[in-house]
Amino acid sequence: MLQKKNSLPFLSFACGLLFLMCACQSGQHHKKKVLDEDKPVSSVIIRHAKGFQIDHFNNYTRVILHDPWSEDKPYAVYYLYRNDSTQLPAGGTKLKIPLTSLTVNTFSYFTFLDLLDEEDVIKGVTDGFRVFHPGILHKLESGEIADLGDPFHPNIEMTLALKPQAIISSAYAQRDNYSERMINAGFPVIYSLEWMENSPLARAEWIRMIAAFFDKETMGDTIFTGIERRYLELQNKIKSVSPQHTVMSGDNFQNTWYVPGGKSFHAILFRDAQLDYLYKNNREYGSIALDIESVLTRFGKADYWFGCEAGTYAGLAEKDAKYLLLQSVKKRQVYNNHNRITPAGGNDYFESAIANPDLLLSDLVKAAYPEILPDYSFTYIKPLEELPAREK
Amino acid sequence: MKNRAFIFVLLFVLLFVAFIGDLLTGNAPITPAETWLALFGTSGDEIIDEIIRNYRLPKAITAAIAGSALSLSGLLMQTLFRNPLAGPDVLGVSAGAGLGVALLTMLSGTIVYPFISAMGSMAQIIAAIAGAAVVLVLILAVSARIKDSITILVLGMIFGYVASALVTILQSFADPDSLKVFVTWTFGSLGGVTWNKMPFLLVLTAFGILVSLFLQKSLNSLLLGENYAASTGLNIKRIRISIIAIAAVVTGAVTAFTGPIAFVGVVIPHFARTFFGTVNHKTVLPATLLMGSILLLICDIVSQIPLTGRTLPVNAVTAVFGAPMIVWIVLKRKKL
Repeated sequence: MLQKKNSLPFLSFACGLLFLMCACQSGQHHKKKVLDEDKPVSSVIIRHAKGFQIDHFNNYTRVILHDPWSEDKPYAVYYLYRNDSTQLPAGGTKLKIPLTSLTVNTFSYFTFLDLLDEEDVIKGVTDGFRVFHPGILHKLESGEIADLGDPFHPNIEMTLALKPQAIISSAYAQRDNYSERMINAGFPVIYSLEWMENSPLARAEWIRMIAAFFDKETMGDTIFTGIERRYLELQNKIKSVSPQHTVMSGDNFQNTWYVPGGKSFHAILFRDAQLDYLYKNNREYGSIALDIESVLTRFGKADYWFGCEAGTYAGLAEKDAKYLLLQSVKKRQVYNNHNRITPAGGNDYFESAIANPDLLLSDLVKAAYPEILPDYSFTYIKPLEELPAREK
Repeated sequence: MKNRAFIFVLLFVLLFVAFIGDLLTGNAPITPAETWLALFGTSGDEIIDEIIRNYRLPKAITAAIAGSALSLSGLLMQTLFRNPLAGPDVLGVSAGAGLGVALLTMLSGTIVYPFISAMGSMAQIIAAIAGAAVVLVLILAVSARIKDSITILVLGMIFGYVASALVTILQSFADPDSLKVFVTWTFGSLGGVTWNKMPFLLVLTAFGILVSLFLQKSLNSLLLGENYAASTGLNIKRIRISIIAIAAVVTGAVTAFTGPIAFVGVVIPHFARTFFGTVNHKTVLPATLLMGSILLLICDIVSQIPLTGRTLPVNAVTAVFGAPMIVWIVLKRKKL
């Protein structure tokens, strides 16, 4: 009797769970079935990026975003059309181009849109107070652009009230509530997945993806070709540099020091800048968490340190005297990414750097091999100053 | 008695007012007339209809349900353990839900990804329910073997600590983005429950609330001590397991759908007892349900206050804005 009575909560619980699973799975079936019957007329050749593909059909363009975490099915498929009468395949997200209004929940698209001369389509952004882009900042102040709050949790009502044609939102290995809700309300989400690319040129190539949504593919291609040419030219110029300097990266946050994995964006940037990175043969795409002891023992002799969080050497010493043991600190060859910042905490490094990998590369080359770029001055990075910490 | 009936009527009115107030508050400027039209017809603007029908209405219903359920859970725990500090989280169930979500978030790019990809935003809820269920099973297994309620309380808290510690370990290895996704979950959010998820939340909590209504008499006996309750012929073990199961299921369900929401569950039962001047569950239990709903609805209204696109985390609002309210009442009545 006792057992019978007590099994009731379990049963309901289990039933509830079962219902949940069934409901979700049946909902999934008619969600996205991709791949059209007809073959594309032409496909765009993507030179560096692995995360997207663009195919042209007679009357429409198909953009596929690949799923970086799984090869089973694409992350998203968009059908871009110009005339309302265009017949489109079933499934996917259908968008009439060129887009004229967007909310942008990731900083990395500001410069892409700017370069494509489409900055005016931005109607809302997240984390408005941290914006660096002067034009967008100005419009935020005048109220022309709305601040939608936290990018991980944007304001739903304000986004809806702006009635954007689409929402650019960073995709994580999660299917978030916000995107689902927006899609259900009829507002397509264009996922930003460029951050999963691990080379500077691959990330920048995503300008070609977003250009398709404005019917500006040729313009996007021209812009990217310019970026690519400048990057490769510089890379060629320093190919024979010797000896290579050694380098370390990242900073200590509450005793955890995140250093780039050997296959990460930063490791590739270091490689291209002819800098010798200790973890260059590591197979990690993300970052590796180390404690300060490991950093001191492994990177203690590195010549250069990029991505330091301090503004001055005194500030560094104040934070932790152990920093003074690093060779890079002794040699005064430490750089932060704070060259272009706003008083409120905006940092152009997180905005325009993605579209300017050539400048990122130039920054490193200028720091490590200044004789190669005598007339260049730093864009994103800044050498630490000698001033006392409080006067920075 | 008449007085009590009057207070109950007043509470129902307050609940209604808070519910309407919640529907009228938000970042999008929508007038009461438009809200009315969107609810009972159409406002003529599909975005206003969308915000009212598919965002504010389910959010207000979630607030009402979550407030009731957490307060009920708190009341059950306080009565069972005869401890005024007990709340929905003492059994470790919310921490278990947190561990489920943490595992899902921190491992999101790896082995659990096919599950996320297939389940969409439901993945997080299922992970939370699974985490809560593991702790629920543990705690029920323990309560079937142990006679002393306080020992169960201590073990429940230990389960909670272990789950939280595992979450901390996961966090220390997580990349900053996953960390932020998880931290955002811990803020609590009433807006995440869409209509397609609502039936699950309703079924799980309504079950707990309904069963608890049949337990009022047994709960009253427990107030006099387990020995006394046993002498009245009550099957202590069975009643204890029922109470724990209800509290854990409703807490787990609410936490899974809204993230952790602190404070409400601990304080509302005290509030109800003080307000009605009785410990009799026939009064306190329905009062707790009503007051819990009202408080969480008010907290949701308050969380909209910044009016800048940012809303305050509801998990913090409950404590920051709820606490002074309670302190004021306590001071006025000079006791809890």
